[in-house]
Amino acid sequence: MAQMPALIPKEVEIQRLKKLWLMIIALGSIAASVEVDNFVDGSLHQTSIRDSAFTPAHWWLYSHFIALPVGWGAAAIYDRKIPILRGPNNSINTGLKMTILGYLATMFTIGVNEMWHFWFVEEIFAVPNHWMFNMGVVVAFMGALAYVVRVYARLVELGAETPGENPYVAEMYKMALEGKLYSRSIP
Amino acid sequence: MTLPKGFGSGGGGGSSSADVERMIGKRVENMTGMITISFLAAWGATFGGTAAGYFYYPWAYPTPSGHFAFIVLTIIEAIGYIFCVKVMQEGSNKNSNGVVAATVGFVAAATIAITLTVGH
Repeated sequence: MAQMPALIPKEVEIQRLKKLWLMIIALGSIAASVEVDNFVDGSLHQTSIRDSAFTPAHWWLYSHFIALPVGWGAAAIYDRKIPILRGPNNSINTGLKMTILGYLATMFTIGVNEMWHFWFVEEIFAVPNHWMFNMGVVVAFMGALAYVVRVYARLVELGAETPGENPYVAEMYKMALEGKLYSRSIP
Repeated sequence: MTLPKGFGSGGGGGSSSADVERMIGKRVENMTGMITISFLAAWGATFGGTAAGYFYYPWAYPTPSGHFAFIVLTIIEAIGYIFCVKVMQEGSNKNSNGVVAATVGFVAAATIAITLTVGH
């Protein structure tokens, strides 16, 4: 693997962080769309039986659960150009790692879910095959929030964004920059 | 400033503004056109998705439900679009407020027209 330089010019770093920010906004919009479809899918399953995997509410949900891990994977590829965002031992940033793993779980749950519904047509919300959708999204959201805070904190440090006035928010940015947002031992 | 391999004057270690520009590539404040096209493409795909829903599955996805989803998603996409352009241009001399206003205005008008006419 190529050795990343320890520092890059400030202007270059701001531009790269903002390009990453563009991807994050797009992926955030997709995540918001998934939340909308949770209601659409839920209302559909309260009013009609499951006759097919490919109802519109499922096209919507499943296409997003493929777009999200792929999109965050693309963000991880671009993330390598910004040395400050590296995780422990020059690996992928921990937040980014959690996000990709969470959304990958939802992507594979598409298959698990369809296997389950091959035998059990009833769409009860609390069946185990649905747990992994929800747990995957929660893990992904936790990781994405930590990653977004870290990117934003770096933009603040570089003078490209306004620092938070709330002392608790300012402290969170400081911890993020020190690589201690998740815990004091996991960067 | 240490620069990656291939940048800077050979062995001298110094970086010029040309090097920095080359490392940046297309600057984010100049990406309004691409962001606008992406937003319009996403909005068109959203209409395609909901239209496929209520034309092929009218019993499971009634037209008002499809229009509701279309409107909510248009709002989400428009917020993302405005956010993208404003964040990319803050701190620069660029200003694309006119383009953003025209695009969002067109999309708002077209969304209303679609929900009033399509599928009835």
